[in-house]
Amino acid sequence: MANFFPRWTNWIPIKLVICGIVAVSGLTAATWYYATPKYTKIGYEPIQPVPFPHDIHVSQLGMDCRYCHSFVEMAAQSNVPNTQTCMNCHTQVQKDNPKLEPVRASWKTGNPVEWVWIYRTVDYVYYNHAAHVNRGISCFSCHGPVNHMSTVYLAKPHSMAWCLDCHRHPENFLRPDDQVFNLDWKPDDVKPAEFVAKYGQPHDARGDFSKKKNLSQEEIGQTLKEHWNINPPTNCQGCHR
Amino acid sequence: MKRVFHHPPEPTTGKHYWRGLGEYSNSPEFRQWLEREFPAGAAELNGNEWSRRDFLKLMGASMALAGVGLTSCRRPELHLVPFTKNVEWTIPGKFLYYATAMPRRNGAIPLIATTVDGRPIKLEGNPLHPASRGATDTFTQASILDLYDPTRSKRFVRNGKTSKREDFEAYIKELRNKFLTDHGDGLAFLVEETNSPTRERLRGELEKNLPGVRWCVYEPFWGQGTTVAAQTAFGVGARAIPKFDRADIVLALDSDFLDCGQGDLASVRAFTSRRRVSTPKDSMNRLYVVENRFTLTGALADHRLRCPASQIAAITHALAAKILAGTNDSALGSVMGSVQGPAAFGGNAFDERWITGLANDLMAKPGASLVLAGSSQPVAVQLLAYAMNAALKNLGQTLVVRQMPRNPRTIDISQLAADINDGRIKHLFILGGDPVYNAPRGLAEDKQKSLPLDWAELQKRVPEIVRLGYHEDATSMLSQWHVPAAHYLESWGDALTADGDYLSIQPMILPIFGGLSEIELLNELLGGPKTEGPELIQETFRSTNPSGDFQTAWSRFLHDGSAAHVQPRDQPSSFSANAGGPQNSWTLPPAPTPDSPEVVLTASYSMDDGRYANNGWLQELPDPITKLTWDNAALISPADAKKLGVLTGDLLQITINEKSAGGQPVKRELVIAALVSPGHADSSLSIPLGYGRKMPEFDGLPYAGGALKERPGIAEQGGFNGYFLRTAANPYFVAAGAKGIESVQVTKVGRTYPFSITQEQFSIEGRGLVREATLEGYRANNEFAKKIPGEEELPHPPPSIYTHPPLKAPQQWGMSIDLNVCTGCSACVIACQAENNVPVVGKLQVSHGRIMHWLRIDRYYASRKPYSQDRGEWPENPEIVHQPMPCQHCENAPCETVCPVNATVHSEDGLNVMAYNRCIGTRFCSNNCPYKVRRFNFFDYNQRPVGKRKIVGALNIYEEYFAPLTTKGAPDTIKMQKNPNVTVRMRGVMEKCTFCVQRIEEAKIGALARAGASPETRIPRDSFTSACAQACPTEAIVFGDIKDPESRVSKMKQQDRNYRILDYLNVVPRVSYLARIRNPNPKMPDAQNIGVASFEEKSA
Repeated sequence: MANFFPRWTNWIPIKLVICGIVAVSGLTAATWYYATPKYTKIGYEPIQPVPFPHDIHVSQLGMDCRYCHSFVEMAAQSNVPNTQTCMNCHTQVQKDNPKLEPVRASWKTGNPVEWVWIYRTVDYVYYNHAAHVNRGISCFSCHGPVNHMSTVYLAKPHSMAWCLDCHRHPENFLRPDDQVFNLDWKPDDVKPAEFVAKYGQPHDARGDFSKKKNLSQEEIGQTLKEHWNINPPTNCQGCHR
Repeated sequence: MKRVFHHPPEPTTGKHYWRGLGEYSNSPEFRQWLEREFPAGAAELNGNEWSRRDFLKLMGASMALAGVGLTSCRRPELHLVPFTKNVEWTIPGKFLYYATAMPRRNGAIPLIATTVDGRPIKLEGNPLHPASRGATDTFTQASILDLYDPTRSKRFVRNGKTSKREDFEAYIKELRNKFLTDHGDGLAFLVEETNSPTRERLRGELEKNLPGVRWCVYEPFWGQGTTVAAQTAFGVGARAIPKFDRADIVLALDSDFLDCGQGDLASVRAFTSRRRVSTPKDSMNRLYVVENRFTLTGALADHRLRCPASQIAAITHALAAKILAGTNDSALGSVMGSVQGPAAFGGNAFDERWITGLANDLMAKPGASLVLAGSSQPVAVQLLAYAMNAALKNLGQTLVVRQMPRNPRTIDISQLAADINDGRIKHLFILGGDPVYNAPRGLAEDKQKSLPLDWAELQKRVPEIVRLGYHEDATSMLSQWHVPAAHYLESWGDALTADGDYLSIQPMILPIFGGLSEIELLNELLGGPKTEGPELIQETFRSTNPSGDFQTAWSRFLHDGSAAHVQPRDQPSSFSANAGGPQNSWTLPPAPTPDSPEVVLTASYSMDDGRYANNGWLQELPDPITKLTWDNAALISPADAKKLGVLTGDLLQITINEKSAGGQPVKRELVIAALVSPGHADSSLSIPLGYGRKMPEFDGLPYAGGALKERPGIAEQGGFNGYFLRTAANPYFVAAGAKGIESVQVTKVGRTYPFSITQEQFSIEGRGLVREATLEGYRANNEFAKKIPGEEELPHPPPSIYTHPPLKAPQQWGMSIDLNVCTGCSACVIACQAENNVPVVGKLQVSHGRIMHWLRIDRYYASRKPYSQDRGEWPENPEIVHQPMPCQHCENAPCETVCPVNATVHSEDGLNVMAYNRCIGTRFCSNNCPYKVRRFNFFDYNQRPVGKRKIVGALNIYEEYFAPLTTKGAPDTIKMQKNPNVTVRMRGVMEKCTFCVQRIEEAKIGALARAGASPETRIPRDSFTSACAQACPTEAIVFGDIKDPESRVSKMKQQDRNYRILDYLNVVPRVSYLARIRNPNPKMPDAQNIGVASFEEKSA
């Protein structure tokens, strides 16, 4: 009796297994990539009632973040400026610009401008701006280069793992307290001698930091972490109440 | 192998603690209840109408429907909405605090209101003012919910039809013109006591302009007798104020002064300040209580005598005779005759030695004792009490007399009723209250039929009634005008405290439903300029002559909440020798018998006089003594219950036969369920009032001129209306032989009524949970609380196999609860509910053991063994110990090790934290919790309606079982109350006390923000506290950093009375208790039964 199954069928189980592995790992990889905030959230750039250009206000005109987001150092929420703040300047500057019509209408009627919420944390997460910006975490770390955005888009994933990256290793993000609102700051801007005079250096540091040509982010961060007693919470209660 | 916990054996002699009669008798039902994780039905979907199968069918259908429209997968677009212009002081996301006060009949409570985004969310006591010192009570805490009551009155109503404010203003203008011509003849006001100087000022102006006006103040529990007695004894305008901090011996004759709802917070604090025993050298006051039912005061008593309320006069008389013999005080002798009747001198089987011991103890401390008679006792008894204080040289020492004059033209409701009956009242303004519901029955007599008339009948005889009401209730239905009233958090005002201090009331929010305040209404009637600001209050404030610049003084007044320059002075006073006039005499009725018991009508600890009837938090608050929720009951002693053959829940019919003034027989009847209450006096029944207040319908009476649309009231308006038995002649107790009472009969109806009692839920058997000793026992062995007998013989706890996270944070949180000063008042329970968004679950769910309170107060009865444990033999006079029970935050928490998803874990600062969004609802943690403090959200209590809803006729459903079909989402106003810093938990999630983690984190973040670029991140010592500790009127609960040896909580924990419950399980709880100390008088006959060390056999 001839072979019921031709010879090539011997490969079927192996092919199936290989296909299975490829399919499962592909699915996993795809989910990992496409169904996590890194993909689903980053780049979210809704149309705002007024296309407020941060780049013009901050980079060209040199305004500080805190002119508009005035309570960021005091409160949990960083407030969105009210119409009055806009109109402080725009009664004089660009007062006929049609793009500013919603702001002028708000000023006239008293109805607020409804900005589309981009950086929204879920209700059971209690984030506090004051606790971060007062302790050497820059706006840049969570919001990206807002000073170069013509319209604001979501720049970081804002997932829990991403939060914990920093809470576990704050030294990768800490910067001198006077540079928190300078979004263009780079570790290379730090002058080692001045820095060490002001903040010292970690007790287990290798070598004298003040003699170095420039300091890395880790070196700066480690120094500040120790100097300021930075100890971010990594348990549930830090953010969930 | 399953690990079996070893508990020490229960001692066979000594003291026995029990929670209810079921446990005491060790009934099979109780055993079954105890051995379940949750009470029967709590873990099953097993409603009255719905089986699990039905539910699954319904769920399947709704899932299928949901699948059809799978459309909501897009990111919802939400908006950030800033203000248009800056609002003064407002920082988005930050709380603002304002001083204000809650007006109360006994004197206002100074408050600090927490507001966020312009809405008040929480009330705390004003720490600057001695009338609060940061403390509050249940009613204050719950009043924030009243503000947001969605069933509040929202409209002006004329003759049953919705009207407008302008129409009402036009009507008032018309009235004013009319009154100016006839001088206000036929105009009357019926108001509540608010102690507002501005209202008094406007009233004075009204009386000047319209001399014919009548002004009647009616409060069901105002203590008019106290005022009359004080004025008789000490002169016009006098008010006697007890100073508990100076009293070594206190005798309370039916006086529940520890109930913050009836008394004042300053007194409660002053009294308990003398019970703080931190070392064996400390002294302690002694409290004697004579009462018919267990009150909060009785629960804290050192010696307690059960006595029918109508016979307390006899005891007072007997005691006065002993004190008269000891002091020969002539004034006391002259008022002795005011208690009359043969029963006063015989007929009663009181223990003579008890009275003698008490009299000797009082006389041993002249000037440092205090005798208080409750406001429900007749004037004669109060006069006797004042005379005894005078004889004991307490005047000016423990009892000071203050001049707090009242307008002499004030009439009481009987006089107003007589005027209405004579047809003299043409226009009546009813400001607040609900007299149709709570006025005494039989206020006047019908002239033709000589039958008594109730207020509802009288109200129909007044041609024009304007009613300012918080709800459209029974009184509104019989009024021509209904005007919505503003809440005190919505209006400008002022008020006096119990001591006469002047407080400001400032609004936190504009009237949500456009209500008017009393002051605004009076101003409109006076034709004053229309005000929206504080002008009327400012005018009163100006008349107090504040020093310096007025604007500065006014700002200071608002900021501090009180005016320091207005200080009532104590006046040196003596007892008026001719006080014992015949007008105040009282004829003692014969002693009640089991066949003809007395009926005592009291204020409720939850509903007060009924004004909080629509408040879900208070409805669901277990009564501190009976642990009954959503209902009131006729409290009855075990002996009487046995004679009548009733158990808790059996319906009783109470029949009172009266003879009216015209000689006609009158019968008053009430059917009410009985609740067997250990420690209750025999031949006596107590009925807390304030329940059974129906909002939408009222006994079929039509709304004057039109029909009222059905409005949903709070889920179940349970309870029985005891006001049906309350008459003007006998407002506080009804006993056969008292004024006009022919007989009182109580019979068993033969049906039962379902109660929702929490007393036997979450029981943890007698394992040394409460520990107590006498003061002498404590001095002999100051370590008595440390160990319980049998603890040493237990196997040593094995080492833990779990790794515990290191407790490495610099500050570690803990709590200490002093059982010696805890009165059980439950202010902490409501404070926790308000702070932590704890939902209300409804009567049915409470009966299934699904109550959500994060903090419960366990009530233990204590009595000496041995008693026969057969059903029917109860200890006659047990003691009560209250024990607040929050999550214990065990360092080796058993709940954490069983959670399959790590939803409950330990934090570095020692908290047992709960991540709601991780919880999948296995409830393993609750099963493994030895303290039973975890709560599970079985239905979506925060989102879905719960409770009974009428469908048609007698068909009722419980809405929680119809979840997909009911409307989702809480009413908008209820959402406004929620604390934005606490997650509103959903269904299927376990929750529990968090030690107010939101406050801890806020303090931490505050410290971080202050630290800035510096390493100083420590939270300052005792700079914040948990909601329960903040509310506690006696500072029994103390919260703080246990790692700091100088913090208040560490100092409490260092005391030798400190103990942790179930310590032998090696769970290392963070909450510890200070053992109870009682201070019995060794010369008293019952001394050997009181406060004996919990474990005397071992410790002696």
